[in-house]
Amino acid sequence: MAELKLQHLDKIYDNNVQAVYDFNLDVADGELIVLVGPSGCGKSTTLRMVAGLEDISAGRLIIDGKDITTMPPKDRDIAMVFQNYALYAHMTVYENMAFSLVLRKENKNVIHQKVLAAAEILGLTDQLNKKPAQLSGGQRQRVAMGRAIVRTPKVFLFDEPLSNLDAKLRGATRREILLLHKRLKATMLYVTHDQTEALTLADRIVCMSMGHVQQIGTPLELYDMPNNLFVASFIGLPPMNFIEGRIKDGRFVSPNLSFALDDAQKTLLAAYSDKEVVAGIRPEHILKGNDAVLKVTLNENLGQTTLVHGTVGKQKLTAKLREWCDYERGDEVGITFENVHFFDKETTNAIR
Amino acid sequence: MDEKTIRLDRMRYTNNGTSSGFALLAILFNVFYFVSIYRSDVGTYYYSWLIGLSIIYNLVFMLVVFLCSEGVKSYNFNYSVTMIVVGVLQISRIFIIPLKASTTILKVNEEERAAMLPAQHLRVVIFLSVSAFFLIAGGIIGIIKHNKLESYKKTLVKTA
Repeated sequence: MAELKLQHLDKIYDNNVQAVYDFNLDVADGELIVLVGPSGCGKSTTLRMVAGLEDISAGRLIIDGKDITTMPPKDRDIAMVFQNYALYAHMTVYENMAFSLVLRKENKNVIHQKVLAAAEILGLTDQLNKKPAQLSGGQRQRVAMGRAIVRTPKVFLFDEPLSNLDAKLRGATRREILLLHKRLKATMLYVTHDQTEALTLADRIVCMSMGHVQQIGTPLELYDMPNNLFVASFIGLPPMNFIEGRIKDGRFVSPNLSFALDDAQKTLLAAYSDKEVVAGIRPEHILKGNDAVLKVTLNENLGQTTLVHGTVGKQKLTAKLREWCDYERGDEVGITFENVHFFDKETTNAIR
Repeated sequence: MDEKTIRLDRMRYTNNGTSSGFALLAILFNVFYFVSIYRSDVGTYYYSWLIGLSIIYNLVFMLVVFLCSEGVKSYNFNYSVTMIVVGVLQISRIFIIPLKASTTILKVNEEERAAMLPAQHLRVVIFLSVSAFFLIAGGIIGIIKHNKLESYKKTLVKTA
């Protein structure tokens, strides 16, 4: 396994469209990094630059101290797992997994042992004689992972590997990938647009938007201390509620609601007196209380929790209450807020 | 696992490429054989029921041997035996058209000669022999591998 350094990576296509801007990341040995962001944010492009499938317009890519920026993909010792599996339909699972080693002209007995070991890890031993068409989506993705594992590469790259699976299978395969990472202790770069995958899998998350890195941090850091409005809105499900308002006389005041700031918030927002800010409140941080009255528009029971959608004045809010509720449209619920985040309205950066 | 066991274990997941390849080579040399015959310029000598049967046999041969080439991939015993039988038939074919043609004297362009000249005769005999060799060898290899695999599988069942 290996350390990976991405230094000032840029990707500019021939038509002068820039997909990635100044991407910097140091990946420690055995670390699982998840690149997350909406479609078109440059996360897959970054991954493909690491794999060598896209030229790097500027910057350096270093594995274990060796500059591999211009090295051909086959020499990089990197294995990639694709969203669409990319399996050979006419080959059996065994042949698919062995193929890359056969191309390298490795000893057949060694190949056999590596394939069996990978199949054992992935629970594919009973499927080795089957063709991909006879397998479920999850099994096919495991074969694709097995094909990467047998190579024992320095770095594993996953490009949205679970996107083609249904919700149940996605959860199961996600757990398998996590177990696989713990077992192999491999350096992995994982691309997804699904924040649940990012939060559950990652040692660290790289959140991207429009080709720029918005924040790099642990899942908890991104959840608890988002750098800006984009990260705050992207991480968390349901997404954070945003309320535009002003800081006035120790209170956050918006046209629809206002609440008193505690001492820490007053200190934090001292420089923003009478200035416009955006308050961000996660649905799970809205509790029953007396700060405002939420007029219910929709009640969604999720078992242990209930999503209550409603309005405070004209401000739409979603609350995630930790109980079973049966509110009807038009009911009024007293609410209060905790862990409120504040963002500069102009820069969209978090106020810290 | 020692080397020998790994080799045997590998057979559970890999094809018998040797036998399969030999079967395809047998087809190739059979094609050489019948092309050599059909290209003969000896008037109407070959226009007989025998050549009609030969054409039909060649078609059946190619179909059967192609099926065998697929069948033996999975170490199937019956396909291996079929290959050996067809291989023996290939040898027997040497003594039908080639032998008859090489001993028949014709008048071609005012000149008396054998319907099949010695050089051509040698060529077709070689083609049929090589085709037969590949079939018989492929069949024998198939049977040996089949037996090895079956006995290995039995040991796996016993140790399971």
